[in-house]
Amino acid sequence: MDDKQSNIFDIVKNYYNDYGLRAKELKGGGKQFIGYVCSLVPLEIITASGCIPFRVRGSVHEPITRGDTLLETIVCPYYRSIFDLSIKGKYDFLSGMVIPHGCDSMVRSFSSWSYGLPFSYFHFVNIPSVCDESSFEFFDSELDAFRKSLEKFTGKAITEEHLRQAIRVHNENRDKVRALYELRKAAPPLISGTELTMALTAGSSLPIEESNGLFDQILKEVKGRGKSPLKKGPRIFIDGACLDNIELIKLVEELGGNVVADTICNGARDHFPKTDVGGNPIHALGHRYLDKVNCPKTYRTNKAGTFEGDIASRFGDIGTYTKEYKVEGAILYVYKYCDPFGFEVPARKAYYQSLHVPLLHLEDIYSAGTMSQLRTRIQAFLEMIGQ
Amino acid sequence: MAEEKKEAKPKKRMTATKAAASIGPMVKEFITGTLQAKAEGKQKVAYTFIVCHHEEIFRALDVIPVWTENFAGICGAKRDAERFLQRAESLGLSRSLCTYALCGIGFDQWREELGQMPPEAPWGGQVRPDFMISSGQILCDPRSKWYQASQQFMPDVPIYNIDLPYPLFQENRDHREVLGYYHQYIVKQLRGLVTFLEEQTKKKMDYDRLRELVNLSDRTWNLIDETYKLRRATPCPMGTGDAMNTMVPINFMMATQKAYDFFVDLKKELEEKIARGEGEVENEKYRLMWGGGLPAWYALNDFNYFNSKGASFPVETTYRMVAPLNEMDIPETKDPIEHLAWRWLGYWTFWYDKAKKRPGSEPDVERLINWIEEYKIDGVVMHEAFSCRTWHVGLIWQLHQLSKIYKPIPVYMIGKGGQKEKVYRELPSLVLESDIIDITSYSEVDTRNKIDAFVETLESIQSNRAT
Repeated sequence: MDDKQSNIFDIVKNYYNDYGLRAKELKGGGKQFIGYVCSLVPLEIITASGCIPFRVRGSVHEPITRGDTLLETIVCPYYRSIFDLSIKGKYDFLSGMVIPHGCDSMVRSFSSWSYGLPFSYFHFVNIPSVCDESSFEFFDSELDAFRKSLEKFTGKAITEEHLRQAIRVHNENRDKVRALYELRKAAPPLISGTELTMALTAGSSLPIEESNGLFDQILKEVKGRGKSPLKKGPRIFIDGACLDNIELIKLVEELGGNVVADTICNGARDHFPKTDVGGNPIHALGHRYLDKVNCPKTYRTNKAGTFEGDIASRFGDIGTYTKEYKVEGAILYVYKYCDPFGFEVPARKAYYQSLHVPLLHLEDIYSAGTMSQLRTRIQAFLEMIGQ
Repeated sequence: MAEEKKEAKPKKRMTATKAAASIGPMVKEFITGTLQAKAEGKQKVAYTFIVCHHEEIFRALDVIPVWTENFAGICGAKRDAERFLQRAESLGLSRSLCTYALCGIGFDQWREELGQMPPEAPWGGQVRPDFMISSGQILCDPRSKWYQASQQFMPDVPIYNIDLPYPLFQENRDHREVLGYYHQYIVKQLRGLVTFLEEQTKKKMDYDRLRELVNLSDRTWNLIDETYKLRRATPCPMGTGDAMNTMVPINFMMATQKAYDFFVDLKKELEEKIARGEGEVENEKYRLMWGGGLPAWYALNDFNYFNSKGASFPVETTYRMVAPLNEMDIPETKDPIEHLAWRWLGYWTFWYDKAKKRPGSEPDVERLINWIEEYKIDGVVMHEAFSCRTWHVGLIWQLHQLSKIYKPIPVYMIGKGGQKEKVYRELPSLVLESDIIDITSYSEVDTRNKIDAFVETLESIQSNRAT
C-alpha cells in the first residue's frame, strides 16, 4: 500500500488478479487468515480474535474438476467453483475456514470442506431462518460459541473492547464503500461498475485496515477524475447473489450500460448495513447479520397481509436504491440450483413491475463461457431501455 | 396445451408385504379426507412439511396437516407432475429448483386461477389450506421459500414459519456444549406455533392430550425401530421398495393410533415371514443398502428390477426418520413441548458420539458403517435427485469417505515378494441419477444398464470370495 504515486486501479487489478497475494505475504509475518463464504459470517468476531477474515472466491475462467469428485454438480455453480479452487489448494495459505448456514449446499457440504482441506480451524455458524425475539436470543448464543471457538484456536480472549474496536473498523469500511457508491450517482457515474466490483473483491482479500486505506485512495483518485470512464448510457441495477468476477458487469458496460447500483453479496448486501454501536456488541452483530443483511435465506413474516405489502417490505431496499441511483433497468442474475434466490424470482419480477423498472432475468452457471450467450440478451435489453 | 397432457400410467410395483400394499388406499383416503374436512369446515387444514416433530401439536388442536411433499410425490408416482412443473416454470421458476415445491406452486397457482381444482387433479387434488406452517430448518431451504412463493397466489392464507435448527457435527466440538441454547430456542419456536394454532383454531391447547399424543409417538418410534430391525434377518422379509410405502405412517401419520397399529401389524407380518424363512426375493443373493437420496417416485419398479436379480434391500437411510429413544440422552420432563425439542435434538445428534470414536468418520458415514454391519450389506446404492440439495448434497463425499475408512471385503493380492497378501477393499456402490418427480430426467434403459453392471460387480465379488 506504499505505492501512492501509481494509479490505484493498477494495485486493485493486481490484488484482484492475484487473489490472496497480500495474505500470502502477511502469512510469512505470522498473520493468520480465516477464510469465509457468504455475507452471513460475522467478520467482526474474526477481526476481534486477531485473525484476518478473507473472502474465498471462485473463478469463472477455471473449469471445475477436482471439486466435482467430492461435491455434487447439483450445487450452485458459484459454490462449486469456490470448493473446487479450495480443494485444488489455491487457498492453502489460510489457517481456517468459517461456513455459515447460508443455504443447503453450505450445510450439506460442511464435512466435504472440513475433512478435505488442510486447515487447523473450521467452524460452522448456524444462522436462524426467522427474525423473531427467540431467534435473536439463539443467535447471540451461537455467536458467543463462535467467539469461544476462535478464542480456543488463537489462545487469546476476545473481549468486548476487541469486539467494539472491530465493529468500528468494519463500519468505517462500510462508510467508505457507501462513499464509493455515492460516486455512481453522477451520469455517467464517476466510477464504473467494473472498477467498483474489482475494488470490493480485492478489498475482501485484505486486512480490514488495508482495505480501508485502499478505499481511501480509490475515493481520492476517483473524486479527482475529470470525467467518467464510461459514456452515458442506461443506468443498470444488478440484483442477485455473489458476483465476485467482473465479467457480467464488464459485459453490460461494454455494451453501453452504466452499472450504478446492486444488491449483490459482495456489493450493497455486504457493505451497506452497519453494526449498531453502544450496546452489547454480540447482540448488535446478531441484529446486523440476521436482520439487516437482506438475504432471501432469511424468512420475513408477511406483516402486511397482502402480496404487494409483503414484497414492498422484503424488497424495499431495491426500491430505495433504484430511486436513489436513478435506475432505468435491472438485471436479476440468479445462479442455477440456487433455491433461496430461485424461489423469489416471480415475486421479484412482480416487485420490479410495481416500480416500473424494466427487468431482465438471467439464470446462469458462473462460467465465462456463457458470456457470449448473455451478450445478445443484454444488448437487446439495453436497446429496449434506450428506446 | 402441453401442460394439460398427462403421462402414461406407470406399472404398479409389486410389494413384499401386505402392509405395504395397504398404503396406497390409505393415502388416497387421507387426501380425500382433507378435501371433505375443508368442505365441512369443522376442522382447519394446514399445509406443512414432514420431519418437524410438530404433528402432536397439530393433532392436539385438531388441525389437519396437508403434507405438500406427499401430494407432489403422488403426482410424481402417478407420472402426472409434468403439467404442474411446466406451470411453475412459466411463472419464472427454474426447473433446477426443488421439484416438489415447483409441483406444489404450479398446482396452487392453477387451482387459484381456476377457482377450482385443475382438471383431473390426482386423487381429487390438493385442498386450499386455511394457513401454512413452513419450517426454516437447517436442512431444507425450500421449506421456508415454497409457501412464501405460493402466497403470491393466495395472499389471504397466512404463513407461520418455525425455525428448527440442530447443531451441525463439528469434529472438534462436543455438541453437548451448545445443546442447552438449541433446546431453549426450539421450545420457544414450538410454543410460538401453539400460540399461532390456538389463534387460528380459536381453541386452547389441552396439554394432557398433547402429552398423550407425544407418548403415543414415542411408543410408535420404538415400535418402528423394533420392526425395522427385524429386516436384519436372512433372507430379508421386507425391502426398501416396501419401505417407500411404509414411510407414510412414519412421516404422515405420526401421533395417531392408526400409525401405531400399522406397525403392530407390520411387525407381526415380518415375524411370521421370518418364521417361514420367506424373503423379499425368493433366492436372496445380495443384500443392498439404500444409502441416501429420495427415490424416483415414478420409477419405484426399479426396486422390483433389483429383486429380479436376487438383490434385496434390508435397510435404507431415507425416510427412516426415527431412532430408538432409549438410546438417546433425553432428560426427564413432564412438559411435552420440552420433550419434543429434546427428541428433535436427540434424533439429529444420534450418531455424533459414535462418529467421534472412529477416525475419519462422520455421523452420516457412521450410520452407513453401522448398518452395513448390522444388516450384512454387500453393496450401497444411492440416488442423486438433481433438484434436491437437502438430501443429496454430500452423498458422493460420504461414499468417498466410506471407501477411505471402511474396507470390509478381504481379497488376495500378489505382494512385493511375489507372495499372496490379504488386503481389504471397499464395498461396491452405485449412484443412480434422476429426480424425485421430474420424469424427464429419467431413463429406464440407462438406469437398468447401471443396475446390471452393478449386479455383475456384486457377482464377481461373491465368486472371488467363494474361491
